[in-house]
Amino acid sequence: MEAKLLMGNEACAEGALAAGVRFYGGYPITPSNEIGEILSSRLPAVGGRFIQMEDEIGSMAAIIGASIAGLKSMTATSGPGFSLMQENLGFAAIAEVPCVVVNVMRAGPSTGMPTLPAQGDVMQARWGTHGDHPSIVLCPSSVREVFDLTVTAVNFSEKYRMPVILLMDEVIGHLREKVTLPQPESIQVVERPRPDCPPEWYKPFEDTKTGVPSMAAFGDGYRYHITGLTHDSMGFPTTKKDEVESLIQRLFRKIRQGFEEIMLYETFLMEDATAAIVAYGCTARSAKSAVLMLRKEGMKVGLLKLSTLWPFPRVAVESLPEQVQELVVPEMNMGQLYREVVRVGHGRFRVKKVSRIDGELITPQEIIYGLKRRERK
Amino acid sequence: MVTAADFESKTEIKWCPGCGNFGILAAMKDALAKLGLSPEKVLVISGIGQAAKTPEFMQCNMFHALHGRALPLATAAKIANHNLKILVNTGDGDCYGEGGNHFMHAVRRNIDLTVLAHNNMVYGLTKGQASPTSERGTITRVHQHGVIMEPFNPLAVALSLKAGFVARGFSGRMEHLSSIIQQALQYNGFSLIDVLQPCVSFNHVNTHRWYSERVYELEKENYSPADYMQAMVKAQEWGNRIPIGIVYKQDKPSFTDQVFALKDGPLVDRTYSPEPLRELLKEL
Repeated sequence: MEAKLLMGNEACAEGALAAGVRFYGGYPITPSNEIGEILSSRLPAVGGRFIQMEDEIGSMAAIIGASIAGLKSMTATSGPGFSLMQENLGFAAIAEVPCVVVNVMRAGPSTGMPTLPAQGDVMQARWGTHGDHPSIVLCPSSVREVFDLTVTAVNFSEKYRMPVILLMDEVIGHLREKVTLPQPESIQVVERPRPDCPPEWYKPFEDTKTGVPSMAAFGDGYRYHITGLTHDSMGFPTTKKDEVESLIQRLFRKIRQGFEEIMLYETFLMEDATAAIVAYGCTARSAKSAVLMLRKEGMKVGLLKLSTLWPFPRVAVESLPEQVQELVVPEMNMGQLYREVVRVGHGRFRVKKVSRIDGELITPQEIIYGLKRRERK
Repeated sequence: MVTAADFESKTEIKWCPGCGNFGILAAMKDALAKLGLSPEKVLVISGIGQAAKTPEFMQCNMFHALHGRALPLATAAKIANHNLKILVNTGDGDCYGEGGNHFMHAVRRNIDLTVLAHNNMVYGLTKGQASPTSERGTITRVHQHGVIMEPFNPLAVALSLKAGFVARGFSGRMEHLSSIIQQALQYNGFSLIDVLQPCVSFNHVNTHRWYSERVYELEKENYSPADYMQAMVKAQEWGNRIPIGIVYKQDKPSFTDQVFALKDGPLVDRTYSPEPLRELLKEL
């Protein structure tokens, strides 16, 4: 493929098409609009459909409806819209409806600064909807990675039958970079498990070896019941302790069994490092520069770049080389993932945070300062 | 004496030059001043959108809320303090799309407030997508083959829900609009003013000139706003001639009139006393 100049949001739309997304329901909101705009014109060409809903509550409901009817579906939004989607996100989690929600993060809370970036929705992406539920949240830090992780998000949603959140920040959404996209035939596309039994034998929420039940599309002959209530293997409401317990346990088990492929991260110059920067999204780009600058000074610093934020890639922190003593976590929030790093470090590292919440990027110099700064005694 | 200048804000106005919102803002200030309403008695609530920036450009009680959610907020604000004069600045997307459900139920409640729906038939803030009032066939960046839905008819919907004050204004006729706003603010109950306005950036069909050539004032015709069925007919009139003015007016008790607990004055003025609670606890 030839190199193209692409914006992050454009790469997201292209990735969605490549992964087989054929339905997009959305509502205009800055800074995610380009994704819907592109898909509105590109989807019909591949036999898909864009629909502008009356609001984000409707958008989220629409992608669930389309997915249950058999289409890979997606929506894109930003903070205020993401908040509105939370009730239906919970529905998608318990009803095991594959779908992808892209949240191009802007500065919050509330209306905040619509055109300025932030990384403040990290915890919301994990715990925004009520109740216990597993989450898969991916976060790209380059335009090419936007494309790849969009495909991965769709694949995970299909494979594990659950909503997957692609958490971009405004910088990555609007960043233009030269990228070479993979050949379409080289892209691995996953389809949801579909039933092959006769319709009368079909149990839509039956436990399996993977924990993921096969999913029939409404309309293809397998009639079944789907609800946001806790349900039995036939999809009908239940409050029986053993059935409820096994349903919720299964929702967690199905991604626990996939942790190895779900937890995506990269390391850079970590082999001899005594300190590491743990970063994600646009901040990982500054972190990489900081590493290179510090290496020139002779400091042995490396980078741990997280592409999966949830489930938190505990293994990435735990497997840092033995000599690493110090971690710094730069984030465009008050320290949301910093706490996770502290938690899984179990006191093994000195962990510092670098926070910025004014809509401005964190510079490499700020990360360097954060790393060198002595803790107050 | 209150003048329009009392509502003047120092905030830099961030609307495109030529935007219909300027006419609406001027008419609002003019109407508030002519009614002698002082800024502290006026609450302007808005949702999200270009229209919803209006409170930012005024000087009174100003509430720039969430998209589509101005009306439920305004409803509660009125119940908390029914002495407030509440104006809701909203747009066609904010009021009839995102807040459509809230809109319908606010009409049914007949809460005493005035809705100024800045209707430019397009989403201005997000740069030109179709809105609920966009006409069939409207081409936008996301509706490249044209909108294939019927436009929302706010006047007819409000009438169907028995709104007691239904009107339409035009941002290009400031004095006429101010007169409607004054009558709406004096009306006791839910009043809807759908305000036709051009969007100079994103609606190149329904321009200032387009409207100017079509609108006519109902007050200058032999028209009575008391006739419900006639109002329904007027609400459907669109095309070469577009009526502006008060389409329907009917007195009826407002929501707060019917709430017994509010008869003794605004809830917000009540001082807290544990006495009634003690009485209630005794009954347990």
